[in-house]
Amino acid sequence: MKKAVIPILIVLGVVLFGGAGAFAYNVTQLPPSQAFTGDSFNYPALSLSSSSLTEGKQLFDENCASCHGVEANGATGLAPPLLGVGPATIDFWVSTGRMPLEQSAVQPNVHPDRFTNAQTLDIVKYVSSLSSGGPPIPLVDTKKGNLAQGANIFALNCAGCHVITGVGDALADSTFAPSLALANPTQLGDAVRSGPGNMPIFNPGQITPGQLNSLARYVTYLTKRPQDAGGAGLGHVGPVAEGFVALFFGIGILMLFAYWIGDRTPDPRTEAEHVDH
Amino acid sequence: MSTTSDPRYADRTSRPKTVERTIAVCFVAALASVVGFAWTYWQSGPDILLGVFFSTIFLGLGVGVIAWGKYLMPQGPFVEDRHSLASTNQDRAALAEAFGRGADSVKRRKFLGKLFVGVNALFGIAFIIPLRSLLGAKTPGNEQYYTNFGKGTRLVTINGEPVSLAALDVGGAQTVFPEGYVGSATGQTILIRPQATPLVTKPGRENWSPSGYLAFSKVCTHAGCPVGLYLQEFKELLCPCHQSVFDVSTGATQIFGPAPRPLPQLPLAVDSQGYLVSQHDYDEPIGPGFWSRGALWNGHNS
Repeated sequence: MKKAVIPILIVLGVVLFGGAGAFAYNVTQLPPSQAFTGDSFNYPALSLSSSSLTEGKQLFDENCASCHGVEANGATGLAPPLLGVGPATIDFWVSTGRMPLEQSAVQPNVHPDRFTNAQTLDIVKYVSSLSSGGPPIPLVDTKKGNLAQGANIFALNCAGCHVITGVGDALADSTFAPSLALANPTQLGDAVRSGPGNMPIFNPGQITPGQLNSLARYVTYLTKRPQDAGGAGLGHVGPVAEGFVALFFGIGILMLFAYWIGDRTPDPRTEAEHVDH
Repeated sequence: MSTTSDPRYADRTSRPKTVERTIAVCFVAALASVVGFAWTYWQSGPDILLGVFFSTIFLGLGVGVIAWGKYLMPQGPFVEDRHSLASTNQDRAALAEAFGRGADSVKRRKFLGKLFVGVNALFGIAFIIPLRSLLGAKTPGNEQYYTNFGKGTRLVTINGEPVSLAALDVGGAQTVFPEGYVGSATGQTILIRPQATPLVTKPGRENWSPSGYLAFSKVCTHAGCPVGLYLQEFKELLCPCHQSVFDVSTGATQIFGPAPRPLPQLPLAVDSQGYLVSQHDYDEPIGPGFWSRGALWNGHNS
């Protein structure tokens, strides 16, 4: 009877640890149902010349003005002013679906884009027309990038918060560095140049346009083609998770085997009556 | 001795047939996996399948053999007496004789023998000599108290480029080093720009932040991790190791986590060519505390 308790405890432990891990993973990750579909890789947010100011104004009045104001000068405690923030900022928040905001949050999370690419650019053009300044939408071409250079830049500037595998991590004060898995190269460039939320701004002096191409190429490589040689990526959260699984399951299974193989030496005093069970 | 009546020869299990079948299943699984492995390899199948077959081979063999030994073999206990460890008297006499031949010869040359023993003894004593090196070892001196920032030392990026006033946008961050010491562990500094105008973090630091640039030691005062995570909206620095949070606006004072002290702030100025320089070194030892942190400290070297 006593022998049966240990395996049960081990199985219970596995389930508990696994559950805790899965919960922690889900807190910071986007459910698959909310993942982007469609053309995120051919997103050509390169030129605003064909965008419509009138369309943009209408979309802005319908979707944004209730919080940011008709003049886009913001509302204290509710929404920041959008004057002079630049096209990259608007493009980032709208195209990643973080805006329009469904409900107040410390940090808006990524959602499917409510608008078509053309509509997003209309809004960008309209808001940018209200006041000059701010970073333009950067021209990002991953084909011109250098993978090794991108990895280097990522390790130096991005991995601190987004971690080396780009899956993101928790920060301070209920904020987090989001996973980069859903970001297309243009959105990546938008974020680098505009520094959304708590992310620092990296201007073209710090990360040149050429380096930005490399960076986007590396992030695309990282998130779209994860090479899980071992079979399971474990959320790509890094060596701690991998080591935990290897130790817990590997050593655990070996211990169960050792327990089965081993045998208690018969007590010489009761040897005569020793009966196998 | 009859093996059927002796209980020591009985099977461990009361259901030998069931165990036999189980072991057979294990061996058959291993056999099938050998075939599967060969076939997968021949077909250039996926690596993971090769691994599954390979592990099944060993698992089937291993479980089968152990179960065989554990359940279907005599369980004993059996006792085997140890043979005598001593050599025979003949062998011992022969050895003594052989040794005696040489020993007599050595005993005749007393001087050589003493010399030989003397050399070995002296050689053993000689091993004490390296201990002396420990006494005269180089000490860290005052390295822990200073960094390579001095009066007018330029701040440079990891590429060695000096940092101008236009280098960062408001909300930007950059790791910098003292010029000539790129990659220096003690000189690593996080340069941030929370606003475009000078920002006084503490009384006495009125002219430390030209155009809103602030520089703090990147070495955490808790355990020495690089504090490189700048939350530009909250104006906070976060240490990734133990989640210490430092409030930039008040001089990187610790507001959460295990860090015992604020991050030391580097006083900045602009040189004649428009590049950021340090006014002098950090005015306290950077990084975690150490045994004599307060003892030798006598102000910054200028």
